Amino acid sequence: MTGEDFAGRLEAIERDFARALERLEREADLEALRVAYLGRKGSLAQLMSSLPELPAEQRPAAGKRANECKKTLLDLLSAKQDALQAGGQTADRSRFDATLPGRRDWIGSKHPVTLVLDEICAAFTAIGFDVVTGPEIENDFYNFEALNIPREHPARDMQDTLYISDSIVLRTHTSPLQIRTMETSPPPLAVIAPGKVYRRDADLTHTPMFHQIEGLLVDEEVSMADLRGTLTYFVRTIFSKKTRVRFRPSYFPFTEPSAEVDISCVICRGTGFCGADPCRVCKQTGWVEILGCGMVDPAVFEKVDYDPERWTGFAFGLGVERVAMLKYCIDDLRLFFENDVRFLNQFQAC
Amino acid sequence: MFLSINWLKEFTPYTGSLDELAHQLTMLGLEVEEVLNPFAHLEPFLVGHVLDCSPHQNADSLSCCQVDIGGETPVAVVCGAPNVAAGQKVAVAPVGSSLPGGMKIKKAKIRGALSQGMICSEKELELSEDHSGIMVLDPKCTPGTGLLQALNLDTVVLDIGITPNRADCLSILGLAREVAAAFDLPLHLPEFQLQEEGEACSSLIRIQIDAPELCPLYQARIIQGLSIRPSPAWMRYRLLSMGLRPINNVVDVSNYVMLELGQPLHAFDRSLLEGGVIRVGCAADGQKFTTLDNQERVLGSGDLLIQDGVKPVALAGVMGGANSEINAHSTDLLLESAVFDPGNTRRTGRSLGLSSESAYRFERGVDQPGSTFALDRAAGLIQSLAGGRICTGRAVSEPRPWTPRVVDFRPKRAQSLLALSTDAAASQKVLENIGCGVRPLHDKTLRVTPPSYRLDLEREVDLIEEIGRFHGFERIEAALPRIRKSPLDADAQVLGASLASHEFLNRTKTWAQGQGYAEAVNYSFCSRQELESLGLADEGIIPVHNPLSAEQDSMRPALAPGLLRNVRTNLDQGNQNLRFFEIARVFQHDPRSETTAREANRLGLLCHGRRNPSFWPWTDEAVSYLDLKGAIEHFFLSLGLEPARFSPGDAPQYCRSRIRMTLRGEDIGFLGRVQPGIAKDLYHARTPVWISEIDLDVLYRLSRGQSVVYRPWVKFPPVQRDITLICPPEVSYSQIQDVIAASNIPAQESISLQDVYQPDQSFECNLTLRITYRHHKKTLTDKEVDKQHFELGKKLLKALPVRFPA
Ligand SMILES: [Zn+2]
Repeated sequence: MTGEDFAGRLEAIERDFARALERLEREADLEALRVAYLGRKGSLAQLMSSLPELPAEQRPAAGKRANECKKTLLDLLSAKQDALQAGGQTADRSRFDATLPGRRDWIGSKHPVTLVLDEICAAFTAIGFDVVTGPEIENDFYNFEALNIPREHPARDMQDTLYISDSIVLRTHTSPLQIRTMETSPPPLAVIAPGKVYRRDADLTHTPMFHQIEGLLVDEEVSMADLRGTLTYFVRTIFSKKTRVRFRPSYFPFTEPSAEVDISCVICRGTGFCGADPCRVCKQTGWVEILGCGMVDPAVFEKVDYDPERWTGFAFGLGVERVAMLKYCIDDLRLFFENDVRFLNQFQAC
Repeated sequence: MFLSINWLKEFTPYTGSLDELAHQLTMLGLEVEEVLNPFAHLEPFLVGHVLDCSPHQNADSLSCCQVDIGGETPVAVVCGAPNVAAGQKVAVAPVGSSLPGGMKIKKAKIRGALSQGMICSEKELELSEDHSGIMVLDPKCTPGTGLLQALNLDTVVLDIGITPNRADCLSILGLAREVAAAFDLPLHLPEFQLQEEGEACSSLIRIQIDAPELCPLYQARIIQGLSIRPSPAWMRYRLLSMGLRPINNVVDVSNYVMLELGQPLHAFDRSLLEGGVIRVGCAADGQKFTTLDNQERVLGSGDLLIQDGVKPVALAGVMGGANSEINAHSTDLLLESAVFDPGNTRRTGRSLGLSSESAYRFERGVDQPGSTFALDRAAGLIQSLAGGRICTGRAVSEPRPWTPRVVDFRPKRAQSLLALSTDAAASQKVLENIGCGVRPLHDKTLRVTPPSYRLDLEREVDLIEEIGRFHGFERIEAALPRIRKSPLDADAQVLGASLASHEFLNRTKTWAQGQGYAEAVNYSFCSRQELESLGLADEGIIPVHNPLSAEQDSMRPALAPGLLRNVRTNLDQGNQNLRFFEIARVFQHDPRSETTAREANRLGLLCHGRRNPSFWPWTDEAVSYLDLKGAIEHFFLSLGLEPARFSPGDAPQYCRSRIRMTLRGEDIGFLGRVQPGIAKDLYHARTPVWISEIDLDVLYRLSRGQSVVYRPWVKFPPVQRDITLICPPEVSYSQIQDVIAASNIPAQESISLQDVYQPDQSFECNLTLRITYRHHKKTLTDKEVDKQHFELGKKLLKALPVRFPA
């Protein structure tokens, strides 16, 4: 065989391939054609195997020409494939419906109490608070006594208590964690304590179990300005940057001074009206009560052997359901514990 | 506590707006919860002038009246009262108004005569029980004016929430003091006449206090020759406006003075007291005593009694006795004004389930020096309403006289705690305004003597709060604190028990949400009965001592009761295909625990209904064991834990297939299908309910401290060989896994189950496994793999009653 014969046969291969390609209609047949011409035992490979038969000086040029041929065939092949695929989309339209439902799996959800609890914890951990937890069945000592609520103190009336025994209660607030934290750690400290709490109370606005988050910060020279700053930061993180915060004097046995915190009503934006209707959430006052707080009472510090002259601190406690109701405009507290999936599913996107 | 604005104005000349007053009180910590008009139901009623009154032609008992109610012409009213007469001023309910009882007044013909309204009795207006005739008003009233104005009723009353520390504000006087201090107004105490005559009170009665620690002061006055009558209108209306029912002039005065000054008083019928002595001492254990509500009470030795020479006559500070009560025929009375120990009063009230306005005030503390003024005030008022002679002086025993407290106050400390710039002079002014005596001790300290009515001012910090209150918390600037703390390690974050961290629980919630489960939150209590029906009521259940209902009488030892109830609630509502998770504490009695309870964090998973969230393109199959097991395996893998062992176990009873899970030899929970009967009868589920509970505290412990260390993978290619085994029912997949794991075939890397096939009508099952072989140092030849694979097959045949297909 001469170099010319070789070149002629390459041309013939190209020609035949092009013709075969033209006749080809289904993408699935491309592979067979590829194997026939470009495969390990295809026509091009067979021709290449005769390369050694050429005179030595013609071999490089023939080899180069063969590679060019291979490239041409590959290019044609891929062009045809593109064309078939483009055409296929129109040709297969009857069997492909892009709007059919996908194979979508279950979507789960977190309970709104969890969502709000997480968000609040995140706001506080972001500025350096640690999260602590403790028992839900508590000693009278931690739940009352150490918090400056002795037996037969009228402050015990503020919380209807569920008892396990005379000295063991279902904790009525997360405040026992204040004592447990200070017993465990020396000052300074900054913790929040989320969890379930229990009261002997059930009506439209009370459930016998609900969730609270307690906060405690102890350091030197802590003032009410720090308390105000922390809670303002928290409220504006959870609600909106424009939320206004109001402190009213109040009473808790374990803080002095004590305050209730109101925020401008998130439903009516503090105006008292939703359109022309009086706002039912804030009863037209423009304010809603959201938490109780105060400076740690020196009597509490004495219970845990902190020097009240040196250390000051603040504490606060807030109801999680209350925040969730405001945040998600939930108007019935009982929904939280019915676990109707039509309620729970509304929080899939959170 | 109600605050009538009219009454307030008798103490301090407040002239500002109601809104301003309510706001200021609220911002002083006296939260105005509601503004109410106790007589709102009388709003539409008018003063009428009976111009003419003639008998009804068709009914003897009726009168036909012409009544001027301010309109152009008088209206005709038919009236059945015997006392109606021309010339009277009367209360008229005009057409269109409704009586408090709900009856609507309409234009009507009564026995042929037109009636355009109704002349009312006091009972019909709910002003008293008097229904003997119509209410006749002061002749000076102008026809057509509103009844509310004509009677000068207290139409604006604030309902104020009083915190337990502010006993002083359980009176009009106390609230007036706050208003006067806040608005810089003068304060006037009530003025009264007190004409004493005759014998000295102390010669008629002797006071003997046997329990001075429970009764620091007891004093009394004696009034003789009075007559019990209904109180005059002003007194009755005022008590009504404060929500109290008028009774008679003596009882009304003691209630009135209690509301006015905060000192509870008690009036005994002196003719029923014997022995000329009042003794204050503790009851005998088991002693019986009938209180004036006619209930026989069994007392304990801690309960304080007021006794005469022979018998108990009152439960001190809580309630009087039926045996010495004022009655319609009483003429002589002994009026008590005393101070009782707050804690003891509360204990007595609580142990007897007895609450009273009097006990409420004693529990919070009363003004000991002020009790004398209250006694004199009440005696004077009784005399003016009931006549009689007040014996000279008081009978008094005061074993523990009041000693004023002295508190040193550092203005600097107040400044730094409140972050308010107030100087010593400003602080001094605030403290003086609220009635404290203030004397500068030296330049850094004020020596403060709080008034006797402010029992809450005991320490410097209490005074600091007063400075804050009157300066206004609103003036405190907000600033974020620096946060200094020694970071707590994870163990220090769970206090009082060794439980999973909050962060771990949160991570688990995120996992469960991702698996398509909806988080449920159920009460921590359930009913004992439900536990019994589920076979969960073993000895460790913790009962709630005072549950709200039988449904909540036990602390839950498992999450199943709540989750199963969620199934029922949702199925009853037509919600199907349920997947719930819950993460919460379960409770078990544990005498070694400081709280007598062991708490553990559980993950509960429940699924019921379809396996997939929709039909097409999924297939319609019910959820099964492998679905829930798969989720759990997924969970363990996501924690970096090795697969758990699932094996048939014995608990819980309410499940049919009971599978226990163990990991590193520790029990971590169960998985099972709820017994169909229980599922259907108790929870309305007709298709399988699969449930699992997992101990998160154990998982937390097992998965803690794991860190990811990168390992390079073997670069030589794997070779795979399939093997099919025909297995009798007693051979489980895990046994095959165990044999292969123990086979010591050097290059055997992993196995995966390819197919499970049970031919029709066969007990045997064909398992096809794909075994992967790989050498870590070279490429295996087909020959080497064949040899190892053959070896493996031999070991399986030897270890288990399995065979290869023909
Ligand atoms: Zn609003």
